[in-house]
Amino acid sequence: MMNMKQAVKFLAILIMLGAGPAGCTSFGKTSPESRASMIQSVNPDPGATNDLEEKDIKLAKKVKKDIAALDEIYDVAVIAGKKEVLVAYKVKHLKRFGMKRIEKEINKKLEKNYPDEDFIVSSDYKIFIEAVELRERMKDPSFPDKKAEEQLQRIISLKKELT
Amino acid sequence: MGDKKKQKMTPEQQQYQQLEQKHELKRPVVKNCIKAFLVGGLICTIGQAITYFYIYFFNFTEQTAGNPTVATMIFLSMLLTGFGVYDHIGQFAGAGSAVPVTGFGNSVISAAIEHRTEGFVLGVGGNMFKLAGSVILFGVFAAFVVALVKTLLIMMGVL
Repeated sequence: MMNMKQAVKFLAILIMLGAGPAGCTSFGKTSPESRASMIQSVNPDPGATNDLEEKDIKLAKKVKKDIAALDEIYDVAVIAGKKEVLVAYKVKHLKRFGMKRIEKEINKKLEKNYPDEDFIVSSDYKIFIEAVELRERMKDPSFPDKKAEEQLQRIISLKKELT
Repeated sequence: MGDKKKQKMTPEQQQYQQLEQKHELKRPVVKNCIKAFLVGGLICTIGQAITYFYIYFFNFTEQTAGNPTVATMIFLSMLLTGFGVYDHIGQFAGAGSAVPVTGFGNSVISAAIEHRTEGFVLGVGGNMFKLAGSVILFGVFAAFVVALVKTLLIMMGVL
């Protein structure tokens, strides 16, 4: 049987093997903003997958302003797609007990203010990180709108995944 | 001990009881609770870190990251049990190491190790879930009851 020292050594190697590649590549997160988005407030700019549609950008900005006005929320990312608008937000730690109520409140507010739009609302960290990542990529003028829309749909499918 | 039970005892038994109580070591309940709290909290912190790892580096959301996290924690505790490290943690922390999901992995592997001399099929295979079987049974039953209550509440329009 392995003794305690050997076991600790084995575990250390296991952790190094796992953490090494993770630290080196950071798995495709391109900007410092998206890398930091999980642990701190980054306040990302609202955006639209179709840069030429002034209407979409205006809508995203307005939605962000509306949602950020809520007391329980401290970071909001909004991306307007062709059909849907993705709203990802982070809830203050002690307010996370009322997560469902906050989501209901946001849905109600959005439905009331923008009855013609289709919203995807999520408080999930993953959705937030991916939204920030997409927004950062969209800042690059060479990033095609079609790809941005594809990425947005991928994020929406992640949100719908339950198990 | 209840008064009724005490009354049923013979005088010798009562005398022995008093003698035993005099020499019995007092359990350090508060100290044990603090140890369990700290170690249990540490295990949960590691679990939370693994959840964030899966959210950040893989395509798991907060809702779906629980599954690989549980699998990883159980796997790690199984390895540590095999190396004989988890026994020391268990001795130090008590419930703090048994209540989190890592305790489940420990109970599976420790039973398997204990019965390996009886052969792989009837020994390891037959006794592996000797301790963990109750966890699975009552876990499934509790989940069933909770699902039943939730379904009823949804049907009544409360939720």
